[in-house]
Formats: sequence, C-alpha cells, structure tokens
Amino acid sequence: MSLIRILAASAFALIVSAGAAQAQSKQASLELVEPLAEYKIYVAENAAALVEDTEKFVAAIKAGEVEKAKSMFAPTRRHYEKIEPIAELFADLDVSMDSRADDYEKGEADPNFGGFHRIEYVLWEKDTTEGLDDYADKLLADVKDLNNRVSELTFPPEIVAGGAAVLMEEVAATKISGEEDRYSRTDLWDFEANFDGSRKIFELFKPLLDDEAFVAKVESNFADVYEVLADYQTEDGGFVSYEKLTDMDRRVLSAKVNTLAEELSTLRGRLGLG
Amino acid sequence: MTKDRKDKSARAGFGCPYGSRRDLLFGLAGAGAAIALRPQRGFAKEAEDPKAAEKARGRQVADAPAGSGDTRDSVPFYGEHQAGVVTPRPASGIVASFDVVAQSPEDMERMFRELTDRIAFLTQGGKVPELDPKLPPADSGVLGPVIEPDNLTITLGVGSSLFENRPWLKPYKPKQLQRMPEFPNDALDAARSHGDLSLQFSANLQDTNIHALRDIVKNLPEFLVMRWMQEGDVPVVPPKPDGTTESARNFLGFRDGSANPDSTDAELMEEVVWVGEDDEEPDWAHGGTYQAVRIIRNFVERWDRTPLGEQERIFGRQKNSGAPLDGGTTENDVPDYAADPKGEITPLDAHIRLANPRTPESQENLILRRPFNYSNGVTKSGQLDQGLLFIAYQADLEKGFIAVQNRLNGEPLEEYIKPVGGGFFYVLPGVPSPDSYLGRPLIEAAKKSDTPT
Repeated sequence: MSLIRILAASAFALIVSAGAAQAQSKQASLELVEPLAEYKIYVAENAAALVEDTEKFVAAIKAGEVEKAKSMFAPTRRHYEKIEPIAELFADLDVSMDSRADDYEKGEADPNFGGFHRIEYVLWEKDTTEGLDDYADKLLADVKDLNNRVSELTFPPEIVAGGAAVLMEEVAATKISGEEDRYSRTDLWDFEANFDGSRKIFELFKPLLDDEAFVAKVESNFADVYEVLADYQTEDGGFVSYEKLTDMDRRVLSAKVNTLAEELSTLRGRLGLG
Repeated sequence: MTKDRKDKSARAGFGCPYGSRRDLLFGLAGAGAAIALRPQRGFAKEAEDPKAAEKARGRQVADAPAGSGDTRDSVPFYGEHQAGVVTPRPASGIVASFDVVAQSPEDMERMFRELTDRIAFLTQGGKVPELDPKLPPADSGVLGPVIEPDNLTITLGVGSSLFENRPWLKPYKPKQLQRMPEFPNDALDAARSHGDLSLQFSANLQDTNIHALRDIVKNLPEFLVMRWMQEGDVPVVPPKPDGTTESARNFLGFRDGSANPDSTDAELMEEVVWVGEDDEEPDWAHGGTYQAVRIIRNFVERWDRTPLGEQERIFGRQKNSGAPLDGGTTENDVPDYAADPKGEITPLDAHIRLANPRTPESQENLILRRPFNYSNGVTKSGQLDQGLLFIAYQADLEKGFIAVQNRLNGEPLEEYIKPVGGGFFYVLPGVPSPDSYLGRPLIEAAKKSDTPT
C-alpha cells in the first residue's frame, strides 16, 4: 500500500491553488485506491455493527422491554448515520429504514411510515412496544439487506469524496432544527455520528491534499463542532436531549456545519474528481 | 412641515426614471460623498433628455417604480450614507435577518470587510470568476456570467442583540437601539422577528435580490446564520404624460407613502432620517439611521367585504385619488385638520390623522417609509397570507416609529391588520472609500478603548 502512495505522491501530485482554484486530475485514480479501500472497510465495519446492534434492539422490542429498547435506539442508529452517504445510495432501503412522519401525507397514521422513526414514535409517544413486531422485523431485514448490498458495492470515488459534504448538508438542511428524532430528542447523537462519518472521509483523503491552509481550516472547524457537542455529552458517552441545545450553540453549530459544507464541497474537485 | 408637492414641477420623465448616474447623485443626500464611478453604458440617455436631472431629483422613495428599468443602471455604493434609504425604491425588495456568530472584534471586522466586499461587487456588477468545473461554481448563475447591477442596493443594519451579547461592543450601542417591543395589536412570531443583523435588498427584479442574498449566504457561512427573510414588491406605475408620479398602492388598495417627507431634500433628510451631531448618539454612528421593519399581515378577505366609505374613513383618504377626505384631487393635497377639529370630515381616529396629526409638535415625529407588499401563500384557515413589509427610517426611533405607532394603537384599521414580525435595526454609516468598510468606525471605536466606559 505505501509503495503505491510513494509512487502516487511523486508522479501524480495534484495542484490546487488557493483563491480561484483550479483542480487538475492526472491519473488521480491511483492515489485514491488506498483511501477508498480504507473507507470501504469503515463502511463494512459499521454495517456489520449495525446488524449486530439492530438484532439486540429488535429482541428487546419483541420482548416488550420498553426502557431497554429506548436506551438502544440512538446507539444503534449511530452506525447508520455514520455511513449515510453510502446507505442513501440504496434509496428503497433508506426510505424503508429512515423516513420521517412528514414524508407521508397521513403522517404517523400512515401504515407505510415504518423504520427507525416508527419504532421511535411508538416507544416514546405511546410508551409501549405494542404493534411493533412487524416493523421491527422489517427493520432487521432491511439492515441485513443493506449489509449485503454494501459488501457487493463498488464505491464510486466521487460519491465517497462527496460524502463528506453530503453529511454536512444533511445536518444543515434537515437536522439542525431537531426534526430528525422528534420523539426521542436524540438528535445530538445523530449529529455526532454524521460529523464522525464526514471527518472519517476527510481524514482518509487529507494526505492527498496540498493546500495546507485549507486542511487547517477544515480541521479547525471540525474541532469546533465537536467542542460544542462536548458540552452536551453525558457520562456514558451519550448526549442530553436536543431541547437542551441553547439558541447560541445551535447558531454556532449551524454556522460551522454550513462552513464545513462549503469547504468540503470542494473536496471532489481538489482530488481531481468531477 | 411636510412639503406640499403640488407646486413641484414635473418629476421623473419617461423611460428610465433615473436619468444618468450623475443625475441620480443630485437626488441623493450626502454632500461631499466620494463616489466611485465606473464607465456606464447608460450615459447616452443624458444627452437625449435634458430634463432628466430635474426629474430624477424629484423621485420620491415611495413613488411607484416607473418601469423595470435598465439592468445596467446602478446606484453608487460609496458615500457618507448607505444607499437604499433615500434611494428611489425599485419594484422588488427583500429584508433578510441574520444571527451573527462572530464574537471577537477581529472576527467581527472580518465579517464586515467580507460583507462590504460582496455588497460593493453585487451593487456595481461585473464578471463572475470562472473556476474549474470540478469545483462548485463561485456564483449561483441566476443572473448569468456577468452580473448586471439592476439598481441593486444592499443596506446593512445591526440589531440590539448584536451589542447585548458582546461585552466589548455593548458600550457603543446606539442610544435608542432596542429589541422591538410588542405593541398592543402585535402577534409577533419569534421565527420572523428580531435578529443581530439585517440586510435590505432592493432592485428592479426580484431575481437580482435573490441572487445577491444567495451570494452573501454562500460567502459568509462562518459568520451569518439566516434567521428570517421576507420578499416583497410594489406595482410598477409609469408616470403620467405630464410627468407626475404617485405612491405605489398596498394590498388594501390604498397608496402607501403619501405625505412621506421629501426624500430628495437633503437638508430635510439630515434632520428627519440621518443621525448626525445634533442627535445624542456615539460618534461612530453619525451618517447612519434607525430602521424599523414590520411584517404586517392584512386580512384582505375581510377588508374587501368592507364598504368603500368605511375603508376611506378608516384611512382618512379617498381610495382612488388618494386625496384627503376634505377635498382635493391628489395624494399631495394636504388635509386641513384645524378646520375639522371634531373629526367630522376626517375622523379623529383615521389612520393618517393619528399617524400624523400635522400639529407643530408632531413635526418631530416624521418618518421615511419605503415599504413593499408581500404575498406568502395561504394560512391554516384557508385565507390569503399577504400584507405589508413595512420599512421606515428615522434619526430618532423613539420620536419616529415608536411615537407614531403609539398614536396608532387602537385605531380602527387594527381590525384588518396584524403585525407578525420584523425588528429594529441601526443602519450603519456609509463607506466613504474603497479602503474602508461597513462598520469600521464602530470596530475602531470599540478596539481603541481598553476599558469600556
């Protein structure tokens, strides 16, 4: 692996100038091999962990253990939220697993509204596991399906590189307002997972970037978002309710997330990808 | 005294009402303003129309815009005062409110410099930089590869909360800047109210405003988080053959802006609008003004079911001509309240009479209104959600908007209107030259003193 990198660095350096940037791709694909391979491993690990955690989550639901199921909801979702750019490629699974009530005209009354958030709705709003068996089974089936599809997928480089920005766009567009986990208020868990997923991609491609100022800015912004979240962490590594997020902190997060989205939107170009 | 404009000669002429840019400058307040000129294709018009200067001078902010204008026309950015206050109002506007994330003086300065750069570019136009297609484009492309100015002005104001949340800045807050209170008829929606920073966009085309807003959002994500925005527009009404113009109508069908103080009278504007040495404000604030924004919902279905006579009594003017109820033919005619002390002709609680009783005392409560009409959709009750994006400028907020609104509290018009948003902001002084930036006097004042007084 390192031989490839040495060859890549010496023969195929990318040139990205500051200011009005121009991105040149000279056989960029060779140096991307290693980061892509590592990312594939990252996704596979998270997909497998998602299956494992979902099995336990579903078992708790079917055993009628409401509190236990509640405590497993956010930690289980983390693995999904980290790999969302890839998971989203399978639109049918994404809809089945992660859609929200307002994606359906009849909202929570719509029987098609399923997945994580249907389960969340019943657990928190009704405080029961009644009626959830089928939804739980479907979720587990979907998660296993996702795991299989991911292992067979060739990861397009632009999708991976673009994924760093996509995760930020997700947060910026639909999550920063607290609409994602509206019953459990576990949105901060999702934020951290999205940031983790984004940062992972950035870290993997970082060695290929020449623009030190850009790298420093992005790293500084990542550090800042984690710093804001740190104030809301609980002792067991989880997070307090989204409602505790102050207006000021939400604004800071919003600014940082949008800034990171802008910066990371140049990642593909900087790597010579279209 | 509100000038009787009956004796003013024909104002704006045909075609482009702004004449040449030099003529526009005559119409703007601010003596000794340093203007950055650039070659303009519009100059040919000056030779064609010698009356352009006089007509341009007469253009009032609340006049209906005369036409979509020429997208090559621009309003100068540099000057003692920011543009967009006494500048004739074009057909389209947006008020956008932001929360500011910059905390330190250094960050605040960077934010102001960046904003100044963007505003200077957008309002004067030019080619957008071309980047490698593998990168996101530098510009949204909404106006094409070459930005035309389209009479765009972008006016920057700061809210009370900007100062309150920054101990190093707080001592420099303008004396009357405050969080907009809830007046008795208000139903303020938190999601549409207040903010650290306001930007008022006005241009001939709404696309120009939208393009500018997107440009600023894209370039300043580090510092600005959008809070709310309201688009609006006013109908285009070409001047009559004799050159006279009229105020644009609002969604209640009445003209909005009659009896505005003469925005082309520089001396009057210094008194009514611009903060200067006579006002008890910090030095850095000289050349600025207070901005009151109100998003005022109109219950239009109910209004349209109200007898015309009652509508006219509620407002205090004839609907069609705009003339006062005691006679006259145009909105420029001045009502004689002294001859009607019991309000038998113009009711004592008529909107215009409450807003401006035209007494010697009420002369210190003049405000300059530059509103737009908005139409947002449908309410939960299935009624039209439309109304007035009210914007007013004054050197003294207490004696201006607040005093006027307090007189209006309880007026019969309140059955038909409901203020739901907006905010109070302080419009910063203008940028005198390209080596300066918006907010510089404030930042330098705050940096200078080590200990706040």
